[in-house]
Amino acid sequence: MNSDKVLDAKGLACPMPIVKTKKAIDEINSGEVLEIHATDKGAKSDLTAWVKSGGHELLQDSEEDGVFKFWIKKA
Amino acid sequence: MARKVAIIASNGSLFDAYKVFNVATAAAASDSEVAIFFTFEGLNLIHKEGHKQLPIPEGKEHYEEGFKNSNVPSIPDLVEMAKELDVKLIGCQMTMDVMGLEKEHFVDGIDVGGAVTFLDFAENADVTLTF
Repeated sequence: MNSDKVLDAKGLACPMPIVKTKKAIDEINSGEVLEIHATDKGAKSDLTAWVKSGGHELLQDSEEDGVFKFWIKKA
Repeated sequence: MARKVAIIASNGSLFDAYKVFNVATAAAASDSEVAIFFTFEGLNLIHKEGHKQLPIPEGKEHYEEGFKNSNVPSIPDLVEMAKELDVKLIGCQMTMDVMGLEKEHFVDGIDVGGAVTFLDFAENADVTLTF
Protein backbone atom coordinates (compact mmCIF):
# COMPACT_ATOMS: atom_id res chain seq x y z
CA MET A 1 0.00 0.00 0.00
CA ASN A 2 1.30 3.47 -0.85
CA SER A 3 2.07 5.99 1.83
CA ASP A 4 3.27 9.58 1.93
CA LYS A 5 5.34 9.17 5.08
CA VAL A 6 6.72 6.24 7.05
CA LEU A 7 7.16 6.32 10.83
CA ASP A 8 9.48 3.77 12.40
CA ALA A 9 8.24 3.29 15.98
CA LYS A 10 9.77 -0.17 16.41
CA GLY A 11 11.19 -0.88 19.86
CA LEU A 12 9.24 1.95 21.47
CA ALA A 13 6.97 1.34 24.45
CA CYS A 14 3.68 3.03 25.32
CA PRO A 15 2.97 5.94 25.03
CA MET A 16 5.73 6.74 22.53
CA PRO A 17 4.19 5.12 19.42
CA ILE A 18 1.12 7.33 19.89
CA VAL A 19 3.14 10.46 20.65
CA LYS A 20 5.33 9.88 17.58
CA THR A 21 2.27 9.15 15.44
CA LYS A 22 0.71 12.41 16.55
CA LYS A 23 3.86 14.32 15.61
CA ALA A 24 4.15 12.55 12.25
CA ILE A 25 0.54 13.15 11.29
CA ASP A 26 0.98 16.85 12.02
CA GLU A 27 3.62 16.86 9.28
CA ILE A 28 1.43 15.52 6.47
CA ASN A 29 -1.55 17.01 4.68
CA SER A 30 -5.18 16.06 4.91
CA GLY A 31 -5.91 13.02 2.74
CA GLU A 32 -2.30 11.81 2.82
CA VAL A 33 -1.36 8.43 4.26
CA LEU A 34 0.98 7.76 7.17
CA GLU A 35 2.52 4.30 7.46
CA ILE A 36 3.57 3.23 10.96
CA HIS A 37 5.78 0.32 11.99
CA ALA A 38 5.62 -0.70 15.66
CA THR A 39 6.52 -3.61 17.88
CA ASP A 40 4.54 -2.54 20.97
CA LYS A 41 1.84 -5.19 21.37
CA GLY A 42 -0.57 -2.55 22.66
CA ALA A 43 -0.15 -0.47 19.51
CA LYS A 44 -3.03 -2.04 17.64
CA SER A 45 -5.75 -1.20 20.13
CA ASP A 46 -4.12 2.14 20.96
CA LEU A 47 -3.82 3.27 17.36
CA THR A 48 -7.34 2.10 16.56
CA ALA A 49 -8.68 4.25 19.41
CA TRP A 50 -6.36 7.13 18.52
CA VAL A 51 -7.55 7.17 14.90
CA LYS A 52 -11.13 7.34 16.13
CA SER A 53 -10.47 10.22 18.53
CA GLY A 54 -8.85 12.28 15.78
CA GLY A 55 -11.38 11.44 13.08
CA HIS A 56 -8.69 9.84 10.89
CA GLU A 57 -9.13 6.58 9.00
CA LEU A 58 -7.25 3.32 9.57
CA LEU A 59 -7.03 2.00 6.01
CA GLN A 60 -5.20 -1.23 6.71
CA ASP A 61 -3.08 -3.02 9.27
CA SER A 62 -0.90 -6.11 9.22
CA GLU A 63 1.48 -8.12 11.36
CA GLU A 64 4.62 -9.84 10.20
CA ASP A 65 7.42 -11.27 12.35
CA GLY A 66 6.30 -9.26 15.37
CA VAL A 67 6.15 -5.96 13.48
CA PHE A 68 2.75 -4.31 13.30
CA LYS A 69 2.12 -2.05 10.34
CA PHE A 70 -0.64 0.52 10.05
CA TRP A 71 -1.76 2.82 7.27
CA ILE A 72 -3.64 5.88 8.48
CA LYS A 73 -5.31 8.43 6.23
CA LYS A 74 -5.27 11.89 7.74
CA ALA A 75 -8.66 13.57 8.16
CA MET B 1 -14.20 20.29 20.49
CA ALA B 2 -11.17 18.79 22.21
CA ARG B 3 -11.61 16.65 25.28
CA LYS B 4 -10.37 18.04 28.56
CA VAL B 5 -8.45 15.75 30.91
CA ALA B 6 -7.78 16.81 34.50
CA ILE B 7 -5.27 14.79 36.53
CA ILE B 8 -4.27 14.95 40.18
CA ALA B 9 -0.82 13.52 40.97
CA SER B 10 -0.44 13.01 44.70
CA ASN B 11 2.12 10.20 44.96
CA GLY B 12 5.81 10.28 44.30
CA SER B 13 7.24 6.92 43.25
CA LEU B 14 8.56 5.97 39.84
CA PHE B 15 5.42 3.92 39.25
CA ASP B 16 3.22 6.91 39.99
CA ALA B 17 5.24 9.02 37.55
CA TYR B 18 4.64 6.54 34.74
CA LYS B 19 0.93 6.34 35.48
CA VAL B 20 0.59 10.12 35.41
CA PHE B 21 2.83 10.98 32.46
CA ASN B 22 1.80 8.06 30.24
CA VAL B 23 -1.87 8.94 30.49
CA ALA B 24 -1.15 12.67 30.21
CA THR B 25 1.04 12.42 27.10
CA ALA B 26 -1.27 9.86 25.46
CA ALA B 27 -4.23 12.17 26.07
CA ALA B 28 -2.37 15.23 24.79
CA ALA B 29 -1.28 13.27 21.70
CA SER B 30 -4.96 12.51 21.12
CA ASP B 31 -5.66 16.25 20.96
CA SER B 32 -6.99 16.54 24.50
CA GLU B 33 -6.31 19.58 26.63
CA VAL B 34 -4.51 18.25 29.71
CA ALA B 35 -3.68 19.73 33.10
CA ILE B 36 -1.96 17.96 35.99
CA PHE B 37 -2.14 19.22 39.55
CA PHE B 38 0.89 18.03 41.56
CA THR B 39 0.30 17.91 45.27
CA PHE B 40 2.13 16.41 48.28
CA GLU B 41 4.43 13.58 47.20
CA GLY B 42 3.25 14.18 43.65
CA LEU B 43 5.52 17.23 43.59
CA ASN B 44 8.47 14.80 43.33
CA LEU B 45 7.39 14.08 39.77
CA ILE B 46 8.29 17.61 38.64
CA HIS B 47 11.05 18.41 41.16
CA LYS B 48 14.14 19.49 39.20
CA GLU B 49 16.43 16.84 40.71
CA GLY B 50 13.84 14.51 42.22
CA HIS B 51 12.11 13.57 38.97
CA LYS B 52 15.38 12.16 37.62
CA GLN B 53 15.76 9.68 40.47
CA LEU B 54 12.32 8.64 41.60
CA PRO B 55 12.26 5.64 43.92
CA ILE B 56 10.85 2.28 42.95
CA PRO B 57 8.37 1.22 45.66
CA GLU B 58 9.93 -0.91 48.37
CA GLY B 59 9.96 -4.61 47.55
CA LYS B 60 9.43 -3.95 43.83
CA GLU B 61 13.07 -3.36 42.94
CA HIS B 62 13.03 -6.40 40.67
CA TYR B 63 10.97 -4.40 38.18
CA GLU B 64 14.02 -2.30 37.38
CA GLU B 65 15.18 -4.92 34.91
CA GLY B 66 11.79 -4.93 33.22
CA PHE B 67 11.88 -1.17 32.77
CA LYS B 68 15.21 -1.48 30.98
CA ASN B 69 14.15 -4.42 28.82
CA SER B 70 10.87 -2.95 27.66
CA ASN B 71 12.55 0.26 26.54
CA VAL B 72 10.12 2.59 28.29
CA PRO B 73 11.03 6.27 28.02
CA SER B 74 12.68 7.89 31.05
CA ILE B 75 10.63 10.19 33.27
CA PRO B 76 12.65 13.28 32.24
CA ASP B 77 11.86 12.37 28.60
CA LEU B 78 8.18 12.06 29.41
CA VAL B 79 8.17 15.40 31.24
CA GLU B 80 9.75 17.04 28.18
CA MET B 81 7.23 15.30 25.95
CA ALA B 82 4.36 16.49 28.12
CA LYS B 83 5.61 20.07 27.89
CA GLU B 84 6.03 19.81 24.11
CA LEU B 85 2.43 18.65 23.88
CA ASP B 86 1.29 21.65 25.96
CA VAL B 87 0.29 19.70 29.04
CA LYS B 88 -0.27 22.21 31.80
CA LEU B 89 1.77 21.36 34.92
CA ILE B 90 0.47 22.97 38.10
CA GLY B 91 2.40 22.78 41.36
CA CYS B 92 0.32 23.01 44.52
CA GLN B 93 1.22 26.25 46.27
CA MET B 94 0.14 25.06 49.70
CA THR B 95 2.25 21.88 49.58
CA MET B 96 5.21 23.86 48.28
CA ASP B 97 4.90 26.21 51.26
CA VAL B 98 4.70 23.28 53.67
CA MET B 99 7.78 21.68 52.12
CA GLY B 100 9.69 24.95 51.84
CA LEU B 101 9.95 24.70 48.05
CA GLU B 102 9.98 27.52 45.50
CA LYS B 103 9.08 27.54 41.83
CA GLU B 104 12.77 27.42 40.86
CA HIS B 105 13.11 24.02 42.56
CA PHE B 106 10.96 22.56 39.81
CA VAL B 107 11.35 21.85 36.11
CA ASP B 108 10.90 24.91 33.92
CA GLY B 109 7.54 25.88 32.62
CA ILE B 110 5.31 24.92 35.54
CA ASP B 111 2.48 27.00 36.89
CA VAL B 112 1.93 27.36 40.60
CA GLY B 113 -1.58 27.54 41.96
CA GLY B 114 -4.02 26.54 44.61
CA ALA B 115 -6.85 24.05 44.59
CA VAL B 116 -9.16 26.51 42.89
CA THR B 117 -6.76 26.88 39.96
CA PHE B 118 -7.12 23.18 39.35
CA LEU B 119 -10.85 23.06 40.08
CA ASP B 120 -11.43 25.85 37.59
CA PHE B 121 -9.85 23.67 34.90
CA ALA B 122 -11.47 20.45 36.14
CA GLU B 123 -14.95 21.93 36.39
CA ASN B 124 -15.82 21.14 32.79
CA ALA B 125 -13.30 18.35 32.21
CA ASP B 126 -14.48 15.24 30.37
CA VAL B 127 -12.09 12.96 32.26
CA THR B 128 -10.76 13.43 35.79
CA LEU B 129 -8.13 11.08 37.18
CA THR B 130 -6.35 10.81 40.49
CA PHE B 131 -3.04 9.06 40.93
